[in-house]
Amino acid sequence: MRKKTSSIILNVVLLLLGVVTVYPFVWMLSSSFKQNKEIMALEQHLLPQQFITDNYINMNAHFNFLRFFANSLLITVVVTVIVLYTSTICGYVLSKYRFRGRNLLFGFVLSTMMIPWCVTIIPKYSMIQHFGWMDSYKALIIPGMFSGFGIFMMKQHITSLPDEILEAARIDGANEFYIFHRIVFPMSKNGISSIAIFQFLWTWEDFLWPYLVINTQEKQLLAVGLKMFNGQYSTDYGALFAATAISIVPVLLIYLFFQKQFIAGIAASAVKG
Amino acid sequence: MNKKMIAAMTAAITAAVGLSGSIVMASEAVPTEPFGDTVKYDPTVEINDGKDISVELWEWGSDDLFQQVIDGYTAIHPNVSIKLVNNPWEDYWTKLPLALSGKNGPAIFNVHNSYHENLINYMAPLDIPLEDLQADFTGVDAHVIDGNVYYIDYGMMTGSVYYNKDMWEAAGLTEDDIPKTWDEMREIAKKLTIKDGDRLVQAGLNFNGDFHQNYLLGLNYQLGENLFQEDGKTPNVNSDAMKKVMQMLVDMYEVDGVGSKDFGEKGADSFGQGQSAMVIQWGHYYNTLNTTWSDINFGVFEIPTFDGEPYAYNRYNGESTFGINKNAPEDQQAVAQDFVKYFLANDEAQVTFNLAMSTFPAKKSLAENEEILANPSLKVLAEHIDRYIWPGPMPATMETTLQTAGQNIFFNGMDIDTAFEEAQENIIRDMKNSTFESVESLYAYAE
Amino acid sequence: MFKKSYPLQSRSEIILRNIVVTAMVIFFSVFLIVPIGIAFAGSFHEWNPLSGTYNFLGLDNYIEVFTSELFWKSMLNTVIFSAVVIVFRVGLGLAIAYAIYSPLVKYKSFFRAVYYMPVVTPMVAVAFVWKFMYNPQIGTINQLFHLDINWLMNPSTALLAVMIMTIWKDFGYAVVMYMAGLYSLPADAMEAAKVDGANAWQTFRYITLPLLKPMTLFVVITSIISYIQAYVQILIMTEGGPGTATYLASYIIYDEAFVKYNFGYASALSFVLFVITAAFTMLSFRVSGTEE
Repeated sequence: MRKKTSSIILNVVLLLLGVVTVYPFVWMLSSSFKQNKEIMALEQHLLPQQFITDNYINMNAHFNFLRFFANSLLITVVVTVIVLYTSTICGYVLSKYRFRGRNLLFGFVLSTMMIPWCVTIIPKYSMIQHFGWMDSYKALIIPGMFSGFGIFMMKQHITSLPDEILEAARIDGANEFYIFHRIVFPMSKNGISSIAIFQFLWTWEDFLWPYLVINTQEKQLLAVGLKMFNGQYSTDYGALFAATAISIVPVLLIYLFFQKQFIAGIAASAVKG
Repeated sequence: MNKKMIAAMTAAITAAVGLSGSIVMASEAVPTEPFGDTVKYDPTVEINDGKDISVELWEWGSDDLFQQVIDGYTAIHPNVSIKLVNNPWEDYWTKLPLALSGKNGPAIFNVHNSYHENLINYMAPLDIPLEDLQADFTGVDAHVIDGNVYYIDYGMMTGSVYYNKDMWEAAGLTEDDIPKTWDEMREIAKKLTIKDGDRLVQAGLNFNGDFHQNYLLGLNYQLGENLFQEDGKTPNVNSDAMKKVMQMLVDMYEVDGVGSKDFGEKGADSFGQGQSAMVIQWGHYYNTLNTTWSDINFGVFEIPTFDGEPYAYNRYNGESTFGINKNAPEDQQAVAQDFVKYFLANDEAQVTFNLAMSTFPAKKSLAENEEILANPSLKVLAEHIDRYIWPGPMPATMETTLQTAGQNIFFNGMDIDTAFEEAQENIIRDMKNSTFESVESLYAYAE
Repeated sequence: MFKKSYPLQSRSEIILRNIVVTAMVIFFSVFLIVPIGIAFAGSFHEWNPLSGTYNFLGLDNYIEVFTSELFWKSMLNTVIFSAVVIVFRVGLGLAIAYAIYSPLVKYKSFFRAVYYMPVVTPMVAVAFVWKFMYNPQIGTINQLFHLDINWLMNPSTALLAVMIMTIWKDFGYAVVMYMAGLYSLPADAMEAAKVDGANAWQTFRYITLPLLKPMTLFVVITSIISYIQAYVQILIMTEGGPGTATYLASYIIYDEAFVKYNFGYASALSFVLFVITAAFTMLSFRVSGTEE
């Protein structure tokens, strides 16, 4: 009985928090079907009084939505996959191997995350220009291949994997490449899923860098296209909210997809336990 | 103007252009005779010896508007193709100078004078005699650098009073009550204010969010005081005129009670929401009212003055003509030069651009153009358009620092003297590396 | 540093280690150290890369940073902002993750998805939505609670309002992180606790919490790094106002670099901020006792 009561209380609290979390979101989605006049109106209603879809339709009039979407998906998937691999392998080496300068290297990776992008983006731009990578996807993919966040995350995660398993494999004569790909990588599923979720989001959302280095319209990414309505004098809230709603759908899908991976990961460890 | 609109989309302007899209220039017969006033464009002269050539034109936000001019031009010169590249306003100013410094820059690009310092080093001077430009356009002198002109204004934007006609009528006011002086304005504002006990229901006047742009940086001229001191470099923010304007703003809210710092986050929105009866806004607001706030029945009148005979009415800012990339290949630069000349000589293009931006034409021959005067926000400027001052491409710190000063006074309880003294110091520090020099002394009626 | 006796290393271990370390060093040198080096050199110059200005100033930029009242005021704001947001992010994140993890809650994936939604929504859009909700006339918050507060323009509520928004946006991140952490907990430890007759609180306090320490450390450190660099919400919601009441250190950096184009001064600010961030990060490692 006591258990049932606390279960109800807990669920209600979580639900209330959920409402608080979702409300601004619903407001935004609903506003994306409103005229600006109504979004800013004195009389506020959650649902559109005059339902319009212009905010969505206008997007396609300004740029080739599907094309930009496909470009973004390609770049985001490629960068995310690369980052997952490099983060895991770097995390493995930094957490399970002992060698001189390891902490120094880790501290160095960590400290690179602490310099604001504002001051490095222009030097980075000059370098890309110097390499002749302008207007090519090289400029988007290569500088994004390693992630300080990802390495940090995976180092923390792999540290908690029991050494015994690795030792057992070594005794069985497995080489390190085998151990990493066949043992460490599958066992790091939860960590990898978490990075996947964040890396996908960051690459998908990133605006300024792709805008600066890509010139050809056909190669441009969605985040850039969605900002193309940028106003000099006023903010078109309806268009902003519509663009946001559309652009977060793939990210949410990725999240829901990797959430399953979480559960698979748990199931696996439950069986093992 | 407002550099901080990060995520703004579809400017009111884009929509306005959509509405006025019925003015299609390209559909007219292709001109065969030279046209223009002093700056003439001869459509019979071949470009690039008639060989095919392609150039890029970068701009922000108004693709339809630019496409009309491009279509008109390429109808005359079918061998030229001009590729329009649209950019987001905010980040355009980072990408453009970077691109211009390399090999990937566009031959032609849209300019805003607030980014003058970052662009001027990459621009080629116009290939048109200075006297010709001076003959046709006002305000050219302010753009002369070492005898060359790199861009001029095609239109001038400034502030006027927008009032809600329904509220005006409800308060028993008529056309005859339109105020000429600030004292009259304050009385009218009181009549337009509605209160429920202590609670404000309708503000007579609202300047929240933009008082620094629309009052502080401009009304000083009415009192005969410039924004910069005689050396043209030292700000004149800590002046009596500036403080007097600020004091008036404070008094309007705190003595007259015609509005409140907490009533309506932004005056412009509050007017659109039907909560405020009057606002002073710059020309672009006319488009905002027509697109976003189409339900508001509004009128426009000239900005009031302190004594009826001001040194100047207000500050204005120009919408600039296109820039030409001096690092572009010779043949592309030639097309760019020709395109700018076409734009300047073409009255229809001038009118269309000015109407879309709600700016008063800088082209002298268009001062009494019917289409221009049919726009009420431009009509009120016509009489005294020569009595407005452009200080030059002021660094952004003038606006942002005065905004901070005003907020300190209204919200943080700072007194005017301290706030403006601090503002003066901050602007001096921000401008210590700036190459800016005020052109206020070029004002036609300068004392 | 102590001399450690390293265990015997196999040939394949040395090869893998060398490949990975070399790749990392090359990558980070080229794409981070070189730009950071250029910015560092720039911090001693009057530098505007857009107009091409680059004049040597010596230590002037740094002297200006250290004597700038606004910078230190913003630094104080940054510390308050980061500390409050991190405490709530970690606290709420852990509590909610633990609640969802508990067998008492049924629709686990539903809650996880809901709390995560703000995290995937771009900050720009979220900040605009909240700006509307804080609006004194038409905002949901005043209407719902029958208040009359000008949240973002009142010096005593403005920073608070921005902090609440940031907590709302970001606590889901901590939930996800802690969920991942909780699901990786060794089942045998929990079983052992149950067998020993520990109650729920004891299990949490003495088993779960210590086991989650690496995750907590991770969340805290990534939060420090990202909050010290936070500026978008300020840019959209208050522009640092009223007056300079909500200036954060990184907002000044953004303002100097991309509004005023003083890249030299912005770089000097960045390196001062970097040292401060690094100090806080080290402190976190120390406090957590992970002295590796």
